[in-house]
Amino acid sequence: MAEVIKSFRSHVTWANARGAWPDMIFSTRVRFARNLEGFPFPNRAEPRQLAEIRRLALAAAKDSGLFSRGHFLRTETLDQLEKRFLVERHHVSHALAASVLPSGAAISNDEDLSAMINEEDHLRLQCLNSGFAIEDAFKAALKLDEALGRQLPFAYSGKFGFLTACPTNAGTGMRVSCLAHLPALSRLGRMPAVLESLSHLSVTARGIYGEGTYVLGDFYQISNATCLGRGEEEFCENIDRVIRNLIRQEIAAREALLKGPLKLKTEDAVYRALGLLKHARRLSYEEFMQNMSLARMGAAMGWNLGVDFSTFNQVTLLMQPAHIQAAAGRALNPDERDAYRADYLRGKLA
Amino acid sequence: MKLCEECHKAAAAVFLKLAVNNKVTETHLCPACAAKKGIGLGLETGAFNISDIVGNMSGYFKDFLPPERKTLRCKDCGLKYSEFKETGRLGCPECYVIFEPQLTELMARIHGAAQHAGRAYAGGAALKLSRAETSRRLEELRAALKVAVAREDFEGAARLRDAMKALEGRHG
Repeated sequence: MAEVIKSFRSHVTWANARGAWPDMIFSTRVRFARNLEGFPFPNRAEPRQLAEIRRLALAAAKDSGLFSRGHFLRTETLDQLEKRFLVERHHVSHALAASVLPSGAAISNDEDLSAMINEEDHLRLQCLNSGFAIEDAFKAALKLDEALGRQLPFAYSGKFGFLTACPTNAGTGMRVSCLAHLPALSRLGRMPAVLESLSHLSVTARGIYGEGTYVLGDFYQISNATCLGRGEEEFCENIDRVIRNLIRQEIAAREALLKGPLKLKTEDAVYRALGLLKHARRLSYEEFMQNMSLARMGAAMGWNLGVDFSTFNQVTLLMQPAHIQAAAGRALNPDERDAYRADYLRGKLA
Repeated sequence: MKLCEECHKAAAAVFLKLAVNNKVTETHLCPACAAKKGIGLGLETGAFNISDIVGNMSGYFKDFLPPERKTLRCKDCGLKYSEFKETGRLGCPECYVIFEPQLTELMARIHGAAQHAGRAYAGGAALKLSRAETSRRLEELRAALKVAVAREDFEGAARLRDAMKALEGRHG
């Protein structure tokens, strides 16, 4: 069983529901896209160049002191389950996990900092914090960026800023995103209008949902759509404003769900979801997410469900397929996984 | 029933809406095609990046990039302008110099600006290249030097000699 997975903690700091508005903002992420001067971007580099870049990047990460007792990984040495685990943990993208070329990652011991190596760009430096914490995440990501930028020559021009493989990332190379949990707006069918309004604010909302359902847990990733032409702080402030506005709308939607005849319907939905999470004997990840979202909304409304946000957040990570297999200590087929997930969840919610 | 816009076979189950600088793109995908694009369910795509998706929409930049003569290409990495238009990906930092006029227009459209206004970067330490990488680069420079001398491009030859000297003094 995957050695790398064992080296990760079972409790994830950035999912501990600390920070502001933890009931609505699961986590905040700030990332910088960077490339090294003197090498082609990964899409045009040869394998030996990619290996050299990775060697340089991992050495710089170690020397920075920000990754002490951290993880230094080379993608090709990882098995499928380990890669999947890192994707579920938000440290590695699907693209990096699928890469067959020399790539890798450095991940700090408490998992708030990470550097993806040779994904679309040579470096993707990120900080992941719990709750609504744009300023903290920005400062920490900047510290990482500056530390590595002293040791490595980043590709930069006075005109286009930090140079990236895709021009959509050039300039600051920065993306600020908040993972927002918006079950009340979703339940009231207001999300399409909300997404529409966001599109005029230089903000990208990734709303992915099975048509007409809440199957994906009502999580939305909100991030800046552009990253050139303004200062880093300004981009942060824009997202900050947008998120505060979203929070107000979600609060209003929650109030609407507790008015008149909707109140009993809402209570019924929340407690049924909680009952299902606590008593199911088979549970797919999608079904878990759908019901967890409703139960979590109940907790957000201040109802005493006997489960706190930190637990909801932790299980949201732990119930993912690779995490389930990591907990089981062996590979499981989807049926076995669903049975294991139900048992594992009961233990966590008890 | 809406069909997947990628494979045009399976039913669309994932609806993706992207807004870049007021240009809204809507895409309907089946679960298989969505997964291929790295769009997972729920939380799992934490490392989400708009360019993963935008870049995958073939010809996305075609509407935004000005036409240019066919022969335009980067002298460092060899990327053709036409390839860039197709993939939306540049090949190396030098591409930004070679394609500057075209990129200026593109940047203005996607970012609403074409001048960086964020933090300035003073440059980092020189790379501590591995022995293998250093000797490989020296070999390349030596070959380029031969060509420059043969062409009687003495200015170019002088630059290459400087580059070799700098490289020889820095590996380790």
